[in-house]
Amino acid sequence: MTNRERAMNLLHYKPVDRMPAVHFGYWGELLSEWAAQGKIPAELAQGNWDGSEKERELDKLIGWDFNWYHCSGSSNGLAPGFETKVLEVLPDGTRRILNSWGIVEKHKPGVISIPSEDDYTLKDREAFETLYLPKMQFFPERVNVEYYRHFNETRPQDVPIGLHLGSVLGDIRNMTSVVGMSYLIYDEDEDLFADLVDAYAEMQFQCAKTILETGAKFDFAHYWEDICFKNGPLVSPEIFHELCAKHYKKRNDLCHEYGLDIISLDCDGVTEKLLPTWFETGVNTMFPIEVGVWGDQFEPARKKFGPGMRGVGGMDKTALRRDKAAVDAEIERMKRLASLGGFIPCPDHRLMPGTKFELVQYYAEEIKKIRI
Amino acid sequence: MSAEILNEISENLQRGKAKVVKELVTKAVEEGIAPDVILNEGLLSGMDIIGEKFKTNEVYVPEVLIAARAMNMGVGVLKPLLAEAGVKATGKVCIGTVQGDLHDIGKNLVKLMFEGKGLEVVDLGTDVSPDTFVNTAKEQNCQIIACSALLTTTMGVMEEVVKKAEEAGIRDKVKIMVGGAPVDDAFCKKIGADAYTPDAASAADKAVEFCRELAGTVA
Repeated sequence: MTNRERAMNLLHYKPVDRMPAVHFGYWGELLSEWAAQGKIPAELAQGNWDGSEKERELDKLIGWDFNWYHCSGSSNGLAPGFETKVLEVLPDGTRRILNSWGIVEKHKPGVISIPSEDDYTLKDREAFETLYLPKMQFFPERVNVEYYRHFNETRPQDVPIGLHLGSVLGDIRNMTSVVGMSYLIYDEDEDLFADLVDAYAEMQFQCAKTILETGAKFDFAHYWEDICFKNGPLVSPEIFHELCAKHYKKRNDLCHEYGLDIISLDCDGVTEKLLPTWFETGVNTMFPIEVGVWGDQFEPARKKFGPGMRGVGGMDKTALRRDKAAVDAEIERMKRLASLGGFIPCPDHRLMPGTKFELVQYYAEEIKKIRI
Repeated sequence: MSAEILNEISENLQRGKAKVVKELVTKAVEEGIAPDVILNEGLLSGMDIIGEKFKTNEVYVPEVLIAARAMNMGVGVLKPLLAEAGVKATGKVCIGTVQGDLHDIGKNLVKLMFEGKGLEVVDLGTDVSPDTFVNTAKEQNCQIIACSALLTTTMGVMEEVVKKAEEAGIRDKVKIMVGGAPVDDAFCKKIGADAYTPDAASAADKAVEFCRELAGTVA
């Protein structure tokens, strides 16, 4: 069986010869760390992204079968993005940078961390209509139609590849910041936030439609959202449903039309309260099912939604920084979740610095021994 | 009349109506209501309700942020009057995201909740070294050090903060609170910190409890 068949069979409750060893990529710093330790060739630490040739080479070295986040999509963000520029250098060397979403970020020298958000551009309807709306229009160059016409012959045949559908609210948060999004939801101009979500969603829908119309075949469709944190969603589930449900439904219905019945969605944090909207509109595969300090989220979701809710993820990646006993405990837990069906174990996010190379190899080997 | 306007301030704050809150606070001052009464029974009481609703998922981050924005508009009117009247804060906290970590959404949310409980907050920002936490607490007489981390790779710095506070001889005078995505109660106990709370509103409740305890006002 190919890994493509294994993955798709598992998510359709069909038999497989073994469990595939699936991952979700790495922090760049981990690859540099492994290269410095002599665990991997230095060239594999650079230019190694989801589904790239280098990543697939590293997969072989480690024993992974594939990265679930191997997706293909379009230029479905702001186009063109804002010109990235340094606005100010503070006395401690911190640079205030306008990023491509129009957010002002603070980058501190020597600190490896997502930068903090300091300010944002999208504050009112004027900014939306003059600065953002023109960047949210659909135009043919957003999709490399020629590439997709040959996609079925040129794509790797042995691993599943997803159609990246973009996001409904995650990108909006990227262009407004959490604070800005909160203020815009409650702006005096009551329609502003909905207009923003609608305009962006329509462009992303057109991108997905254009790709599918080329005849390109995918194994699943995929969203990125990241709209939850430790305590649940960043917005109220009711507001989320009101603003976003119709857009998920429209994109998911399109996928169904083209025979794509597995639709996964990447959202970190505690997702429980948004799952009803996602599931009701056609999203049926949770990813990466972050464990955090709150524990497993897959089994409760399965109990609530039944076998229609699948999962890829759920393995506490921090075990791979600890020891063999911790990894063994996770493998045992993965066996139990896998026995529910419709579930593929995968570390619950990108592997981070301090992850032990040998433990990752061990995990990848052991997970393949799971039989359903 | 006084109760009515204070109630209006609280209700508008909960709905995040910043301009209305500012106008009502100004009106309350003009009507001769004492600034500490407006603060406690109008603004902070409104934030209390928001905090409780946040704990039980009746409201979410956006509702907290707009309420806090409204509170700050009201406090802006009261600040000089409170200083003039010699009204003291419930306690003083220094808060920051630990060294190596630039995430500040959670830290800022906790800061707002602290302010909503009438605490004075020294915001140290992000990438804060253990020495900075401890020196600030010492120099500015903070009763609480509050540390935030989003990353598993940086949460270890919190243990250093506890050690530095011990070395500086202020451990019995300051409570150390920890929070953030990878932090839980077990980690808090392991590093010898004083409190972990599951959400920002509970953190503010705990901080007030600690301040009262340190001031000797709790039986």
